[in-house]
Amino acid sequence: MRIYQSDVLCMGAGLAGERVAVEAAQAGFSVICLSVVPPKRSHSSAAMGGMQAALGNSIMGDGDCPEIHFNDTVKGSDWGCDQEVARIFANTAPIAMREMAFLGVPWSRVVPGEHTYYKGGKPFQATEKAENEGLIHSRAFGGTAKWRTCYTSDGTGHAVLFTLDNRLLQLGVTMHDRTQAEALIHDGQTCMGCIARDLRTGELVAYLAKATLIATGGYGRIYRATTNAVICDGGGQITALNTGVVPLGNMEAVQFHPTGTVPTDILVTEGCRGDGGTLLDVNEYRFMPDYEPEKAELASRDVVSRRMTEHMRKGFGVPSPYGEHLWLDIRHLGEKHIKTNLREVYDISTHFLGVDPVHQLIPVRPTQHYSMGGVRINKDGHAYGLKGLFAAGEAACWDMHGFNRLGGNSLAETVVSGRVIGQKLVEFLQGYETTFSTQATNEAALQVQDRITQLKRGSGDNCYVLRNAMQDIMMEHVGIFRNGKDLEAGVAKLQELLERCKNMRLEGNQPGPNAEMSMALRVPGMIKLALCTAYGALMRTESRGAHAREDYPERNDKDWLVRTLAYWKEGADLPTLEYERATPWFILPPGDRGYGGGKIIQGDMTNEKVIGYDQQA
Amino acid sequence: MTDRNVPDARRNRLDFWQAASGALLALFVCVHLLLEGTVVLSASLTNAIAWLLEATFVAQISAPIIVLLVVFHFYIAARKMPFRANELGIFVKHSRTLREPDTCLWLVQVFTAIIILLGVFFHVYTVMIDLPISVSRSAERMTSGWLPFYVIFLPCVVLHTGIGIYRLAAKYGYCTRATRQVWRKRIWIVMACYLVLGFLAMTRVWFHG
Amino acid sequence: MGRILTFEIFRYNPLDPRSMPHMQTFTLEEQRSMTLFVALNQIREHQDATLQFDFCCRAGICGSCGMVINGRPGLACHTQTSDLPERITLHPLPVFKLLGDLSVDTGTWFRNVGKKIESWLHTNKTFDPNAQEERMDNELATQIFELDRCIECGCCVAACGTALMRKDFIGATSINRMARFYIDPRDQRTPKDFYDLIGDDNGVFGCMGLLACDDICPKQIPLQDQLGIMRRMVSIESVRGWLPEGIRKRLGGGCGCGRHK
Repeated sequence: MRIYQSDVLCMGAGLAGERVAVEAAQAGFSVICLSVVPPKRSHSSAAMGGMQAALGNSIMGDGDCPEIHFNDTVKGSDWGCDQEVARIFANTAPIAMREMAFLGVPWSRVVPGEHTYYKGGKPFQATEKAENEGLIHSRAFGGTAKWRTCYTSDGTGHAVLFTLDNRLLQLGVTMHDRTQAEALIHDGQTCMGCIARDLRTGELVAYLAKATLIATGGYGRIYRATTNAVICDGGGQITALNTGVVPLGNMEAVQFHPTGTVPTDILVTEGCRGDGGTLLDVNEYRFMPDYEPEKAELASRDVVSRRMTEHMRKGFGVPSPYGEHLWLDIRHLGEKHIKTNLREVYDISTHFLGVDPVHQLIPVRPTQHYSMGGVRINKDGHAYGLKGLFAAGEAACWDMHGFNRLGGNSLAETVVSGRVIGQKLVEFLQGYETTFSTQATNEAALQVQDRITQLKRGSGDNCYVLRNAMQDIMMEHVGIFRNGKDLEAGVAKLQELLERCKNMRLEGNQPGPNAEMSMALRVPGMIKLALCTAYGALMRTESRGAHAREDYPERNDKDWLVRTLAYWKEGADLPTLEYERATPWFILPPGDRGYGGGKIIQGDMTNEKVIGYDQQA
Repeated sequence: MTDRNVPDARRNRLDFWQAASGALLALFVCVHLLLEGTVVLSASLTNAIAWLLEATFVAQISAPIIVLLVVFHFYIAARKMPFRANELGIFVKHSRTLREPDTCLWLVQVFTAIIILLGVFFHVYTVMIDLPISVSRSAERMTSGWLPFYVIFLPCVVLHTGIGIYRLAAKYGYCTRATRQVWRKRIWIVMACYLVLGFLAMTRVWFHG
Repeated sequence: MGRILTFEIFRYNPLDPRSMPHMQTFTLEEQRSMTLFVALNQIREHQDATLQFDFCCRAGICGSCGMVINGRPGLACHTQTSDLPERITLHPLPVFKLLGDLSVDTGTWFRNVGKKIESWLHTNKTFDPNAQEERMDNELATQIFELDRCIECGCCVAACGTALMRKDFIGATSINRMARFYIDPRDQRTPKDFYDLIGDDNGVFGCMGLLACDDICPKQIPLQDQLGIMRRMVSIESVRGWLPEGIRKRLGGGCGCGRHK
């Protein structure tokens, strides 16, 4: 077995992973990045919209400051977030954006003078300030008090990812692409790296490192209809869960994006609605103002997705061979705007749907989009349970998103948390030495090897059958609206599926690259993630953010102002759930979000610590 | 900016010389064919021009220079030609499956280049040993078996020059994405005109004898 | 009932000693809005699990799925079968190292060429976290992004006759990448630096102006124009000291790009 050693091992080379790698490499540590695809193909590149940061340069973001950003984030999270982390995030975001500008991101800039902007489909005039000419501009995104989303046309993720990857190239960071991490090397106390499979040759490789970072993105592929790339299968979370000692936080918090296209499930950016796009029903009637008079299409994603589902259930959906959907209308924005500022949207509509958005409506429906949950880390990025294990980005539950994240906050989180956690990781490494255990390495390698051997002997279903079954269960039982009965049935079905995995069969067996083997190795872990999601959702008897229980429609701050921690003990067929306080203290005590409606069961705040935004705890 | 290969400046100037020599040759071909074409109007006009160029020794001096320039241009440009084993095969297969006109045209460039290189020696040699230049002497040559040579040589020169100018303009950014179709169309029209002129001149010379 | 599509797919696994390069035929019923992403996955899931190909975002943004579709390089995920005839021939991209069937190693190729052309912003400034960002004209930012849109799918390289014959040619994608840094005022490199990096026959001078790259680019990046701008700049730099400065300056101007540093 080939063995590589470095100070830092980044599993995943999307925005978060690369940002941490940059920080570590700049501090002089040796870094190896692993990625299942060449790093510039990471799913971060597909994020079109932008990154929220309270720069306040644009006229519609005038007077913005981190505190307002913080408030929006906490409200968006439906008070499920860690307010300490949310404050770190809001304070660091402007610096992180300027740093990216310094490194080469061609942010769209303020052009002074009068401009026509859109809000709720209606044009209005605003004059950008002359003194802000050439500073980073911002656009509107859902759930925010100010326009604060920094963007580069509609290729923000792409532009920032390329900039960071170029920086890694400059710093000489070792990049091992086409490598899939399969198991963490650990002794129950300390993490020492991982066992990975080289996807070019199929052989197992050991990576030993003082600090290991999980930054593998989300696990959207446990759903059938997802905007996530095919690689977003939760690989990193699976390795953490399989240790038995690292918990996953808030796995039931799954965001559905209002505008996944039909039938391809490709996302069209929230920027469409931010720029004034509207949602129409089967009668081409704009229905959102009826539900959300103030924010309309720009309420937070969980709210818009639920309202859309609600409206379709009332019979106003547009029937199609691929199921019901609604329409997104951006025609009134005009050809020039659509072909420049929303160019990717134009490309996606014409190439994948055969729709010309300048003249036609785009078919959309809520589609799985983001995993708020992930490897639970503290505010410094250390994973619970194992020393030397870190996580960042969507793979982590740093927990600034709580039960619903705002558009533009996740992309911002990647570089902000990458910067913060990268610095903390560097602090951790300074003067740190550890011992690599050959026993732990061999055990981990053997465990993966066993699974491969097992697969070659199996005689049951193939991995695609099992994966498809899991995805269908998740769509049917753990969707936008949830209830106890469906969730219980879903959990039972998933458990049965997990059992069937033990006899999984390989259709083909060949040396070298073997996509079926890669998938087969993933499926049992994905079903475990699905179980964490479904079981966590079943046990959480309230509605909060993206987690909407029909049988418990209230947000219950009395009992459920907590974060779910899911552990997977060896040999178990269900996760073990524990709970911790959602936030150590409050800056913004629980209250009404101002959109989404719904009842709140008040918690007892008498013994809670409440501090000012600028106050240290 | 460390560990960088310092480029071989002499080799890298080759591209400039290729372009410059190509442009000069193209200019020459255009003028040469135009002067040659005057025969369509009147044989005595052509004879007069020929006399003028010879009396001032322009023809005698420029002929060997042009030949050297052709050799020079070929020598430099040949570093791009598919001489190495299998390169030609790869390129032909590629242009066939890709169905890109400009890729196919490059093959035309390669083949015409070889024909021109050989042809230019015969052309200059036969003209130069038979001074002074006149329409009747040309007619003699035509009727004594040189016609097939010119029927092949002329289109090669016109094609190579036309495609060469187009490619030069594209490579150096004079012809842009926005103007490419226009360039292509105009180059084809100019090439057609020159071909017609050339063949008319040949016919005229043929019947002169 | 949709059409019955016949796929002829290149098969070869270099790591399997029993494998020989050959074409294999699959048939599939066409469905509405079917892309090659859907079709290839159906073939892998239901007909032959050993078929190798790469997809990632399946939305035309990540550049993973470049392949030669009926003779022309393109992104498989945004190719709809309805735009193709009933017979569809698929080959892996040439130039890049073959990993298996339709899967090629673009990652290593781009990494190597990125190092070679020093594909990063060169500056001697250091970041000041307390300072406001440097201002930039929005028009310029848009122009930079226009060139930054390259997704490194490799289609332009696969369509390039030069790249096919000369394995060290850096391709239109790399020259475009340099053009991106050339117009970026944050990059302090001079024309001399660019000349040192790409001023040879493996760089800009290798381009033979075949322009298939420009025609084939799935992102419609203006490659032809960038090749022209960079070649002229570097070429004129190559004769510094050889041509009188007056002529050099004149040759350099007037290419209409208006973004010379």
